[in-house]
Amino acid sequence: MDIPPLLLQTLGSLVAILALAGLAALMKLGGESKLESHADIRRAAGEVVDGFEAVETAAARDGSAALARDAEARIMLIKRHGNRFAGRVLTSQARVRRNGETLEVDCGERRFGVVCLTLDNAASWQARSDAMGHA
Amino acid sequence: MPDFSPTQYAVPLFVIAVLAEMIWARLKRPEAYEPKDTLVSLAFGLGSTMAGALFGGFALYVFIEAYEYRVFDFGEAWWAVWWAWPLCFVLDDLKYYWVHRAGHRIRWMWASHVNHHSSQHYNLSTALRQSWTGAFTFGFLFAIPLVLLGFHPAMIAICGGFNLVYQFWIHTEAVGRMPRWFEAVMNTPSHHRVHHATNPRYLDRNYAGVFIVWDKLFGTFEPERDDEPVRYGIIKQLGSFNLLWAVFHEWIGMIGDIIRAPWRHKLSYLLREPGWSHDGSRETSDMIRERWRARSGQSSTFTEPVANRNPIAEQGEAA
Repeated sequence: MDIPPLLLQTLGSLVAILALAGLAALMKLGGESKLESHADIRRAAGEVVDGFEAVETAAARDGSAALARDAEARIMLIKRHGNRFAGRVLTSQARVRRNGETLEVDCGERRFGVVCLTLDNAASWQARSDAMGHA
Repeated sequence: MPDFSPTQYAVPLFVIAVLAEMIWARLKRPEAYEPKDTLVSLAFGLGSTMAGALFGGFALYVFIEAYEYRVFDFGEAWWAVWWAWPLCFVLDDLKYYWVHRAGHRIRWMWASHVNHHSSQHYNLSTALRQSWTGAFTFGFLFAIPLVLLGFHPAMIAICGGFNLVYQFWIHTEAVGRMPRWFEAVMNTPSHHRVHHATNPRYLDRNYAGVFIVWDKLFGTFEPERDDEPVRYGIIKQLGSFNLLWAVFHEWIGMIGDIIRAPWRHKLSYLLREPGWSHDGSRETSDMIRERWRARSGQSSTFTEPVANRNPIAEQGEAA
């Protein structure tokens, strides 16, 4: 059976891709970044939106996500994305729900996903969020 | 006529080099790679090759038609005119600079080129993160002047292939700086890290393919600074490893903006720079940089006229 060269090349590339990505996982590349301190969150927030100066922050207990508020009362959601961080300033599209100490934050972008944060002060962050109309 | 594709021959080399960089990362900087990101980047590479095979025919047809109207004729044996090759390579690299610059400054072009920038990592797998939708922009038109000059489309394609192969190795953090003479003329890992940065200082700089001299010539060069580590990706990081979203997100955003915009602004959402909005609700890279400059007290080195940077030409001061 003759296999078209283009198909053969595509299949070969696919195998190489899966092998390399698998190898990256086997070699434990990447690691796990965490947002733990106020300084960590401040730095991450400033990277998400240049000039965003967090005056108040809260890190999820597992370090996978955080909330930050600036002097203009804007609230930013930051989440771990691989071993980097990505974030969004919450808009009127955002929804925040609380279940005990866990906040479920939906920034309104389906592909960004809903982020769950277990916080020491979940109620006060929900109150801040509600004040902005994110209920 | 030679039937030769430099990128196809280079694929095994790409695989070996990515493997070698992974070993370097394991030993020195494990965070330089992220397996899911690597998978997405490599899948981009494969999809881009397939998209090129499926949709590249139109550009080829236009080039072959345009070649009939060439100003100079290198003859039947055009591939045997040795000096035409280096000349074509340099001119193709100049073309690359402008098509790449357009790729960052025109949203229609950016919708395609953003694919190459949407990783928050910078490693050799990022180099293979190529667009699937290039055929749906007008980028190929930038090569028409070369065709009209008399360079055969196959010669341009081969030179372009070598250009892409060169650009592979500069997508790495494993190399710091090259020798000074090399950094002065060639595009290097250091120069290209700046190009992939989201730091306001570095935004929309260093568009070069092979020769960094084009950026120096056209005022878009910015050196990498030791006191400002590069952050990679795009202004609004995707926050998702969904391949199809990564491929099409900017097209979806742009088409949505065009549909929602008042009639007189629709074309601007297609042709103006990414981040532009008719109501000023978003920021372009120039606006982000200016805000950063105002906040940090940095002087502007690119937007001021030369006379304003010349101390003997200061206002109110006799030269």
